[in-house]
Amino acid sequence: MTYIYALVLGVLFGVALNKAGLTKYHKIANQFRLTDFTVLKFMMTALVVTMLGVYPLRAMGLITFPAIPETYVVGNLVGGLIFGVGMAGAGFCPGTAVAGAGEGKLDYIVPGLLGFLVGGVIFGLTYQSFMPQLKAIGNFGSVVIPDLWHISPYLAIFVFALMALVLFYLIDRMGMHRKEKKG
Amino acid sequence: MNWLMTQIRKEEWSPYVAGALLGIVGILTVVVAHQLLGASGGFENLAAYIGKVISPNNVYFGFMMKPEITYPVILLVGIFFGGMLGSLSSGTFKFRTMDSEQWKSAYGKQTWKRWLLLFVGGIVVEFAAGIAGGCTSGLAISGGMLLAPAAFLFIGGMFASGIGTALLVYGKKY
Repeated sequence: MTYIYALVLGVLFGVALNKAGLTKYHKIANQFRLTDFTVLKFMMTALVVTMLGVYPLRAMGLITFPAIPETYVVGNLVGGLIFGVGMAGAGFCPGTAVAGAGEGKLDYIVPGLLGFLVGGVIFGLTYQSFMPQLKAIGNFGSVVIPDLWHISPYLAIFVFALMALVLFYLIDRMGMHRKEKKG
Repeated sequence: MNWLMTQIRKEEWSPYVAGALLGIVGILTVVVAHQLLGASGGFENLAAYIGKVISPNNVYFGFMMKPEITYPVILLVGIFFGGMLGSLSSGTFKFRTMDSEQWKSAYGKQTWKRWLLLFVGGIVVEFAAGIAGGCTSGLAISGGMLLAPAAFLFIGGMFASGIGTALLVYGKKY
């Protein structure tokens, strides 16, 4: 039964990525050129919606958090730094590449998906040689900001939502994005 | 009804609408399946099938990311068909080896070069996701929605180096 949920929710996830245009190279590359803010708008909207869903649902006792990604400061940051190079350079991330593969993009299906598999193999084979040490630096465990800083989750969500709205306003109304140079 | 069909057939939606859809999917994932969204984790399960052959006693593939058809693996299958459904709805589904004009102006028009760079990019991205503990969906969205500091550290790093990389790639055309 869980597999049916995975399939249905995966399809909706794929549709969202396709309709946001994130399966296209230029959408991702231009986010990092700061000429197109689709990625940021898409991610921050999704974050505000999910935050507004999961915290109240948990407070009502309807759900528990399945897992909380572990915070190990240096590893999270370094991982993000390396990730950004690949994402900006290639113009995809694992999710958008799989959705793009479904659109018939053979360059995503063959070298893209093979690359993820090889990357996964290399990571697994080298895991023991550096990850335990890396994860030990600045390790806060499976923690969330409200517990770490002793603040109300709703205050944290309010601040994040406000940040998102101000950013959206600056981007859409004030034209805070760079103009693309033709050349 | 006609209005709705027109909207569904559009090639691109507002990122706010598409993002809200992803948000709803993210909540439903917790509510109905008691899982988190993610894409890189599924690839690690699939990579484990290869890793186990290369190194049968490997701890990571033996105990942490086992060669199994897990929830994230099925989710990947779903994402694939979701991309297909989305492109079919707008009539943009098409088999192609390279379709980005902007890529050609940035890297050159050779297909082999794009395929090579996507292969290398795929390795870098998946390896980095392993280090960080997830990717754009599994860590940035799933961790961010729970307000895990890990997610925001990852997002900060990703944007910083992404902007730097775009500067390098585009140079004067940045």
